[in-house]
Amino acid sequence: SRARRGRSRKEMSTIVRRCDGGAERVWQASGGPTEHKFDPYDFNGGTTLAISGEDFVMVAADTRMSSGYSILSRKVSKLHKVGERTMLAAAGCQTDVVALVNTLQTRHRMYVHQTGKGMTTTALAQMLSNTLYYKRFFPYYAFNVLAGLDADGKGAVYSYDAIGSFQRVPFSASGSGQSYVIPLLDNILCHKNRQDPQPPLTPQLAVEFAKEAFVSAGERDIHTGDAVEIAVVTKDGITTETFQLKQD
Amino acid sequence: GAQRGEESSARLHRRRSKKGAGGLCGRARLEGESEMSILEHNGAAIIAMAGKNCVAIASDTRFGLRQQTVACDFEKVFKMTNRVFVGLAGLATDVQTLRNLLKFRLSLYALREEREMKAETLSSLLSHMLYEKRFGPYFVEPLVAGLKDDGTPFLCGMDLIGAPVYTSDFVVSGTCTPNLNGMCESMWRPDMGADDLFETISQCLLASVDRDAMSGWGAIVHVITPEGVTSKRLKGRMD
Repeated sequence: SRARRGRSRKEMSTIVRRCDGGAERVWQASGGPTEHKFDPYDFNGGTTLAISGEDFVMVAADTRMSSGYSILSRKVSKLHKVGERTMLAAAGCQTDVVALVNTLQTRHRMYVHQTGKGMTTTALAQMLSNTLYYKRFFPYYAFNVLAGLDADGKGAVYSYDAIGSFQRVPFSASGSGQSYVIPLLDNILCHKNRQDPQPPLTPQLAVEFAKEAFVSAGERDIHTGDAVEIAVVTKDGITTETFQLKQD
Repeated sequence: GAQRGEESSARLHRRRSKKGAGGLCGRARLEGESEMSILEHNGAAIIAMAGKNCVAIASDTRFGLRQQTVACDFEKVFKMTNRVFVGLAGLATDVQTLRNLLKFRLSLYALREEREMKAETLSSLLSHMLYEKRFGPYFVEPLVAGLKDDGTPFLCGMDLIGAPVYTSDFVVSGTCTPNLNGMCESMWRPDMGADDLFETISQCLLASVDRDAMSGWGAIVHVITPEGVTSKRLKGRMD
């Protein structure tokens, strides 16, 4: 290589003694200065989904954690309880998600100690946005979806970007499989481009939609699969179920 | 020092812009604009789907120059023979060039062979034409949809250098392939009749292009059966 710069082959290599007693000549990969870089982010994959209803909200996320083309775990939960009746589903860099969730849970605990009651979903939504923007110039690599019941008992879903821009939406999907899922939900949930009558949205129907969406996303997205954790939040509490997906 | 800095940065810019145009992956960078693949310059969304002894091929009709929409009646799906349609997604100039080249080759074939080209043969021809330009390709990702001689569906999707993939359910191409794949994966069922197939492919296309800025602005669907071809335009969002 050009990096040899007039040095001989003997000068570019060394003799190394092997453990079997023999010796071999080992070559350096490059003779010149080498730059090393540390990339602080890793993408651990996954898809999350939340659907709001009249008096409930459903949030679902797959349980696969991957890095590059390898699967690191088939059973990592991406659903996190942050308030009394609020769930955070987040895909992206798992370490950033965990750090973010710990921050939120700690802040919520302090709020409960100080005021004697839990934070409302709207307050949590704003706090999450502020927490994300706090790290505007070294962001949390987390694609968040916050789901809970608002002050009127109606389902509320908030969708975020990595630096805290958020909006309340009827449904949201984020993560590596979001493009596969969002148009599907536009069609079956909001009945866009359809003239047939729309049935009322029940928690059971929302769960069916979520399963359908994850099966499709799991087929086409390599980072999505293994299992889906589905949680339904109502005024009576939170119920969870796990639905198996393909493991390929 | 400052002057040299300017000169070297100008040199750097010139070097980058020389390398910027074309290349196999088609990275195109104009001054002051963000990087975009040349395949996304004009925008497209095409689906081809198989039913029971029928196929359907649908596309949007937008023609744009990056973010600017210029026309909403731009054809991207072309009839090759009574039984075979080709959809071309990608750079509009190459879409039209390839359409003309294919028309030329098919006419010559018909003159020499005194018969029409089969679907499988056409996809093989197209694959060969694209690979001939392996190191300076046409920036199109075509779909071939047709009926074989026995009336059963034939589907083929290709990348810009002609690598074919043959499927029995659906193939998609364009700027919103994740959306299209997600929709088709959930909505497709085997052995759909012509009417069912029309409804399914239309819903898949409309839902997908409504979440993509570069495609939409009208849609057209062709359903090919052994009896003939029905073409319909869809009423969708014009944005």
